[in-house]
Amino acid sequence: MPRIKVDHAKCTGCRHCEIACSLNHVANTANPRRARIRIMKDENRYYPVLSGPFVDAACTSKQLIEIGGHKYDMCAFCRASCPEKPYFIEAETGIPLKCDFCGIPPAPSCVRWCNTGALELVED
Amino acid sequence: MNGWVGRCLRVNLTEGKHSIEELVPESREKFLGGRGLGVKVYADEVPPQTDPLSPDNKLIFSSGPLVGTGAVTGASCNVVTKSSLSGTIACAKMRGHFGAEMKYAGFDMIIVEGKAESPVILSIMDDKIRLVSALEYWGRSTSETEDRFKASLGDQWTARETFLATIGPAGERLLPIANIVNDRFLSVGGAGIGAVMGSKNLKAVAVKGQHSLEVSDGNRFVQVVNTMINKLNSSPLTSQSMTQWGTAFLVGLCYPKKILPNNNFLQASVSLKNLGTDALESAFALRSRGCFACPVACIKKTEMKHHIYEGKGMVPTYLAIGSLGLNCGISDLSTIGTASMLCAEAGLDPVAAGGTLATAMELVEKKVTTKDELKIDLQFGNDNSLLEALQLISTKKGHAKRMGQGAKALAESFERPDLFMGVKGMSMAPFDPRAIQGMGLHFATCNYGPHHLYGYTFIDELLGVNENLDPLTTEGKPALVKLYQDTTAVMDSLGLCNWPLMGLKFKNFVPLINSCLGTNYTADDLLSIGERVWNAERLFNVKAGIDGSHDKLPARFTEEPISCGNGEGQVSMVNEMLPEYYSLRGWSGQGVPLAETLKTLELEDS
Repeated sequence: MPRIKVDHAKCTGCRHCEIACSLNHVANTANPRRARIRIMKDENRYYPVLSGPFVDAACTSKQLIEIGGHKYDMCAFCRASCPEKPYFIEAETGIPLKCDFCGIPPAPSCVRWCNTGALELVED
Repeated sequence: MNGWVGRCLRVNLTEGKHSIEELVPESREKFLGGRGLGVKVYADEVPPQTDPLSPDNKLIFSSGPLVGTGAVTGASCNVVTKSSLSGTIACAKMRGHFGAEMKYAGFDMIIVEGKAESPVILSIMDDKIRLVSALEYWGRSTSETEDRFKASLGDQWTARETFLATIGPAGERLLPIANIVNDRFLSVGGAGIGAVMGSKNLKAVAVKGQHSLEVSDGNRFVQVVNTMINKLNSSPLTSQSMTQWGTAFLVGLCYPKKILPNNNFLQASVSLKNLGTDALESAFALRSRGCFACPVACIKKTEMKHHIYEGKGMVPTYLAIGSLGLNCGISDLSTIGTASMLCAEAGLDPVAAGGTLATAMELVEKKVTTKDELKIDLQFGNDNSLLEALQLISTKKGHAKRMGQGAKALAESFERPDLFMGVKGMSMAPFDPRAIQGMGLHFATCNYGPHHLYGYTFIDELLGVNENLDPLTTEGKPALVKLYQDTTAVMDSLGLCNWPLMGLKFKNFVPLINSCLGTNYTADDLLSIGERVWNAERLFNVKAGIDGSHDKLPARFTEEPISCGNGEGQVSMVNEMLPEYYSLRGWSGQGVPLAETLKTLELEDS
């Protein structure tokens, strides 16, 4: 099954994927807040995060994650459309957003616009 | 609204009030947005004789219609005002994410008027427009201001989505060589604007919002973007050189052609071996950072490890290596990197600051002054004194105070105006006009001082992207200069970055523009808008007293030939090219737009 592989080391934080997603899901509309992928920035790095469902399990198993010598709170790049953060929730309706692996074949729209290879379509 | 938000925010700092206005559709058609519309609004509202630092001057932040829509490289916001360094109109370019966020915050344009009683930050967050007291931020460096302001917002999510444009201590002290810094360490291209912001007691502008932007034909737009990304990837300049090293890759190309100046344009020999791309990679661990919607990502960040500056920083660009490095006789990348970080932290313009120090160094070398008089051991190639001087300039202490006024004022105070290397009061970007004739003509004629970011002639003269032109010849150069000046003006007005012109032709942008804005422009239509913008700027300058008599390069370039190597014996032929350039532009022999030119361009001379 094809999946989107995320390599945060390659992400430049240009947020083109956010707009690709927004344009693909809401007709003729560019708005990162309506995207199902967001670039989460921390210190000197960028983390592309694809949105997913909000389940209790993610919160109860929360722990610190270590990347490149830095310790991060798991919330910093959690994919859940949870009420704690303003990401992945439609501002006007409050509907939670979830990545639906969209796009013009053969690749989801965010992957097509990601030029650095941070997002890649891979076969399992 | 197809690209535009259609709203403009007007903030009066004297009264502490703001109002929201609609952008006039007619001016949008004629000037597009960004730089063009900014210049139009500015020239309509501010009398040309206004003192740049008085409360009567205005400061305009203007994003183009393509910014934030996902258009390839649509990220640029222009800062339009009257420059306190040159007295000309300033239309400085801002990169990064500020421009796009400004549109999501709901405004194409922010006009700042008057002067606040005490320091403030203009905060435009989720439709709440406030003036926040900036007393605790005053005197702080640009990155510290950004960090503290973001920390004051309460939660990490809001902080991440907020973008700031701020001035540093240099702007607060009204130094003409100050500029604005946005998105942490990104210098806005051009000096003379930081002091204007400082004179208004405005420390920073913060933006965040969630407005949506509309695109006219989404399906077509997405396809065009796909094509453009592929095109950028098939050009080695945009897919390899820029992506890997940023603009610093130009150093290796310009040096052997004698285009890269050294020692205040004196052409002494400095070794290149420490400055090429290999040296850059061994000096810094490079990591790309992209401006909004940019597939190229030419900005390089790194961890700096220098005893004066440690921590997150930027890898020096071509501009920094030229202006703060070679032109001051310095070839140590770690010093140059530190110098450019000191500039970003203090809010100094690297070109203006580098030009000033190079002039000071030549004054010492020519024995016009001594190191004892300057109280700093300034001489070409002295790393430590360069860093020391940069730290002193922004504090406005002792003799460094004189340097804060810019290279022209410094050279004149020692009665050696001939040692100032610049035009219209602004120091020259690191391109030697003798070795690259078209750029020399552009430097002389540019409305906003000698800056390569307003006329990318080197794309053909040096890189040979569209046509392979010899940089040393003058044939066809006036037309080339006009073409690139107009192209740049229209790209800035749309909010597009100009660097992709290394991999794309201007006509490749036309379908992108039309599918986004729902228009039917041809490339020629757009270029004539660019010409209109260029003429509107010129008109403002002429009324402000800066006409063709200021389109002059320093005597060094027309009288002292290149001493050896490539282009030996060559001087700048700018004075020979000027008449042809003026006639192509439809200007008088004094560089003033003729009445019929203004009529063709639908510019009324009031």
